[in-house]
Amino acid sequence: MIKITDLHKTFNAGTANEVYSLRGVSLEIAEGEFVTVIGTNGSGKSTLLNAVAGTFLPDSGRVEIAGVDVTRQWDFQRAKLISRVFQNPFAGTAPDMTIAENLHLAYLRGKPKYPKTELKTSRRGKYRDEIGQLEMQLEDRMDNVIGTLSGGQRQALTLLMAVINPPQVLLLDEHTAALDPKSAAQVIRLTKKFIERGRLTSLMVTHSMSQALELGTRTIMMNKGRIIDDISKAEKQRLTTNDLLDKFAELRKTERLTDEMLEELRRDYI
Amino acid sequence: MELWIGALNLGFLYAFMTMGVFITFRIHDFPDITVDGSFVLGAAVAGVLLVHGVNPITSLLVAFLAGAASGMITAVIHNRLNVNGLLAGIIVMTGLYSINLHIMGRSNIPLINQVTLMSYIDRVNPGLTPEIWMCLTLGGATILFGLIMAWFFKTNLGLAMRMTGNNPIMAAATGVNVDRMKILGVALANGLTGLSGGLVAQYQGFADIGMGIGTVVIGLAAVIIGESVLRMRSIYAKVFSAIVGSLIFRLMIAVALAVGMDPTDLKLLTAAFVLLTLAASKATAGKKAFKTALSHFWSKSAWNGRKVSVAVCLVLVLTVAGWGYKRYHGSPAAGPNKLYKIGVVQLLDNPLLNMTRDGFLAEMKKMGYESGKNCVMLEENAHGDMSTVNNVLDKFKQQQVDLIFPVSTACTQAAISKFKDRPVVFAGVASPFIIGAGQSDTDHLPNVTGVYGGAPAQKMMDIVHRFKSGQFKIGTIWDPSQANSVFNVGQLQDIVKGDSDVTFIGTTVTNSAEVSQAATSLVHKGLDVFTLVPDNIVYSAFESVLKAARSKNIPIFISDVERLTDGAFCAIGYDYTSVGNQAAHLVDRIIKGEKPQDIPFEKNKKLTFGFNLDTAKELGLTIPPDLLAQANVIVDRKAEATAKAGHPTAAAPTSTPSSGQAASALPPAADKVTPAADKPPEKRLVVFIFSETPPIMDTRKGVLEELTTSGVLKKYNISVDDKSAQAEFYLAQSIASDIMRLNYDYVITLSTPALQIMAQANKRIPHIFGGVTDPYRMGIAKTPEDHLPNITGVATMHPVSATIKAIREILPQAKIIGTVWNPSEATAEACTYAARDAVKQYGFQLVETNISQVNDIAEALNALVRKKVDALFTSGDNSINLAVDFVGKIMKQHKIPYFTTIPTDAGRGAALLSIGADYVEVGRETARQAILVITGQDPKNVPIKNYVPEKMVVNAALAREYGLTIPDSILRQAAEVRR
Repeated sequence: MIKITDLHKTFNAGTANEVYSLRGVSLEIAEGEFVTVIGTNGSGKSTLLNAVAGTFLPDSGRVEIAGVDVTRQWDFQRAKLISRVFQNPFAGTAPDMTIAENLHLAYLRGKPKYPKTELKTSRRGKYRDEIGQLEMQLEDRMDNVIGTLSGGQRQALTLLMAVINPPQVLLLDEHTAALDPKSAAQVIRLTKKFIERGRLTSLMVTHSMSQALELGTRTIMMNKGRIIDDISKAEKQRLTTNDLLDKFAELRKTERLTDEMLEELRRDYI
Repeated sequence: MELWIGALNLGFLYAFMTMGVFITFRIHDFPDITVDGSFVLGAAVAGVLLVHGVNPITSLLVAFLAGAASGMITAVIHNRLNVNGLLAGIIVMTGLYSINLHIMGRSNIPLINQVTLMSYIDRVNPGLTPEIWMCLTLGGATILFGLIMAWFFKTNLGLAMRMTGNNPIMAAATGVNVDRMKILGVALANGLTGLSGGLVAQYQGFADIGMGIGTVVIGLAAVIIGESVLRMRSIYAKVFSAIVGSLIFRLMIAVALAVGMDPTDLKLLTAAFVLLTLAASKATAGKKAFKTALSHFWSKSAWNGRKVSVAVCLVLVLTVAGWGYKRYHGSPAAGPNKLYKIGVVQLLDNPLLNMTRDGFLAEMKKMGYESGKNCVMLEENAHGDMSTVNNVLDKFKQQQVDLIFPVSTACTQAAISKFKDRPVVFAGVASPFIIGAGQSDTDHLPNVTGVYGGAPAQKMMDIVHRFKSGQFKIGTIWDPSQANSVFNVGQLQDIVKGDSDVTFIGTTVTNSAEVSQAATSLVHKGLDVFTLVPDNIVYSAFESVLKAARSKNIPIFISDVERLTDGAFCAIGYDYTSVGNQAAHLVDRIIKGEKPQDIPFEKNKKLTFGFNLDTAKELGLTIPPDLLAQANVIVDRKAEATAKAGHPTAAAPTSTPSSGQAASALPPAADKVTPAADKPPEKRLVVFIFSETPPIMDTRKGVLEELTTSGVLKKYNISVDDKSAQAEFYLAQSIASDIMRLNYDYVITLSTPALQIMAQANKRIPHIFGGVTDPYRMGIAKTPEDHLPNITGVATMHPVSATIKAIREILPQAKIIGTVWNPSEATAEACTYAARDAVKQYGFQLVETNISQVNDIAEALNALVRKKVDALFTSGDNSINLAVDFVGKIMKQHKIPYFTTIPTDAGRGAALLSIGADYVEVGRETARQAILVITGQDPKNVPIKNYVPEKMVVNAALAREYGLTIPDSILRQAAEVRR
């Protein structure tokens, strides 16, 4: 479903702030796979996700989605194939528009927007049912603007909006990191539910070691713009969070990880 | 009633623009200034199409498309070129100004005789009062449009557009091309603005280049006011808040007018109103905690905010009402009387328009009409705002004014399109025919008459021909957005076309800052005569024209007599006061029962005509006696000054014609009137120095001493001014141009840079220089006799060779002499060249270091010290002169003897020995040269004097410190020995 070949990207090339973010990433994800991505800060996890989404164009390499070469396509062009949930709960919704209007636009993802009114009673009924799945009593607030909702509610809605019109690929960028633990758990539960129900090909960046192990069919580990480990589902079931940390310790031995980064990993993941 | 209905109508028409601003400002979060231009664009396009007989509805459609195109350009500049949105709007708005002028072909298109949307609406009137019918239809159309807009924002496309403005990241994630959506939105907004412009033009009866100024501010104010009054989240409410805001804004102006508030304060009121509504909505938003407590009263918390807003509006209106009450109450307009009411309206406070208005009022009074007794005069001023003129006229309607007296073309145009049922008497209009008031003097709109006339171009040209013969070029400068100016220029061009000897060249300007450049360019094109037609901008920047004209001795002919005293050569124009008088008589006839229909338009009868004799003298022009006899204004400052002193001169009798205007046009007595009777007229001399270094100050002292003691200052009644450039070149440049501007009689410059800069600026004032090493290298002169005609002076070479010789005598063993100089200084260069020759003669080696400023000196000296120089020699360098004490100190530390060519350097202990010119003596000699010129010699015939009063000073104390013995031969020569 996703095929990434030798992808390179340098930001601010030629300036003091030059960052070589992707250093030849190759990755193939089959249809229906749910891949979690872990790694230290600045390892290139989010950049990889954005490369798939098309927020920037890579310096070299190739991105294919569902057999289509999308390397030179912008994000709004790829929106036909991809939907996204961002880390910031405010980034995924339009705050001054109502819940129904937001859902409707999400439903229109990748389709041309003509000047015709489609948000009618029948359609609203459908959206109402969908909102019901969130179990947040938002069904009666369809005409409230999103700006009045809490972060957890907004993120749950963003997730619903991402799957309301099932995408070929779902990208989740640490989408629970900014939530309180209770909301985070609720959003994770919904994530699992939606992905399993739609058998969606998904790529999820996470900062939680246990999330990485618990969710998905495969885990990849990134460091310094490269994929340094690829753990299959069978292997994942055997591993504990400590094993993962040991893996990092192993990296340290081969000098691919500094003490500082190890410390950071401990802080982040435990 | 009319006032309020009129305000509502304007409110509805402007609402289209407000909706546009709402789209950019609220939907796209993009403050778009393009609307200032696209509003006029719409008016221009619709106006031109209507004149060509296109259906009004079609013209509005094209106006919409044109506006949309301009918005598209702004958005593309913003997106594709990544230019800040505000800046992109400013760029397009600026460009549109020229494009709009091109579309219209002139600054103003009258639509009074065209079939407009309004005439359509009138035609289908089912029998209601026209104003009310207009209001109903316009209101209906606007509300319908508002509904369509709101519906649009509910469609898929509209929702996507709202999302683009609200959250662009998310919009892109759902597959919306954010850039394209922004282009669409800004295009839509400007399309609506263009539509609004087209509508307003049709409503007020003309399109004008100036009608768009401040559109964006009105739009923003209306959006903000509307939002705070109608605070609901629904998109319907939001779109309608823009319409409501527009209505409130117009009504506010109507209120201000109704209570008699000065329109000058309208802008301030707007600002206060917007600020207060913003503050009120902020305050209520912060009090959300109270909303539950208050919910017993109001079911929705939104009412809370609305209540506050409404209260704020009320308080404001009441305050204004209270403020204006006195004037309103005191005005007879409020009383139920049957007096004849005359409404006087002018576009702006301009001295010429004021003269016409005052002339009118004065003549009315003379004929026995007194406001409050047997008639009512209502005076209004729109302060340059076109839409305020409309409000003023509505107010006149409301007050049942019997007759309208508009001053200026723009006011007349608005008045004749608004009033069909009562007399309009205009004045201050160049041509009533171009604005559709009539076809000829007798065949005109039945309710309109007045006084008109442009500048008397033919008469002006006749006079120009008396002074210029053969082929010559005349030229003028004008603002193409002023209808009067364009008309007058057209007349002038027509006359020149039939005149094979004369070529017309012209330049247009858009603001007063451009006038200087325009005038200079005309002068460069070889202009022979300036023939300035009436133009507010050019007249306000007259000084700039004068400056350019003076540089090439070009006479200025102008139509405004007031400018004669400022230096114009000849003025011929109509008399603004008498225009008002003439119009008063027309009004009198109408009041006495005549119908305007039967009163032909009158041309301005009275001309004023005059010369400035001082300018004539300056330009070397002689005025034929017959012309002089015709003139009713003569400006002659010098004659006047002497006349006041009791010595009538030959020039005095020529200024005998002293009509009322002539007296008022004459300047107040010249500033510097000689108090004593026997003294010749005062002359002015300026001493200009470049920097305040010791030698220059000494020279200056010598100059002033000699000038004073010789008695010429008293004898020739000369005042002396002092100028110093503080060693700054830019300052020196300004001083030089200032000297030219103030037209001094004599200039004395001391120092080389002062001479160079002054010589560049001045080709006529007698100029005497001093304190200069070598005027021959600078192109001032080839030989002492062969020099620039207005410049002479004293050249003082530094005694470089004598100084080097002295070094040899004091230091027989020395081999290396070091020197420091600034290669950009002409004098330093000359001295160094002289030193290079001298060292060879006396068997030294010269080591040079260069500096470019005072701060470099320390480093340069260190370099020389490292090279083990036996002595240091400096000469003629200003940077070193400024820091000579510092140089002396460093040399003392290293025990290196220091020699200079300025005597005071040794005297003050900086140098061991100095041989130089006695600069006080040089100054005296310079003054003596100046005296030759003052007593009547032509500078051309005064040769430059090469004069070096050598003076040696030895500092024996310093020599002792160094362990040197000064030979007796030297000590004998020294004028001064410091022990």
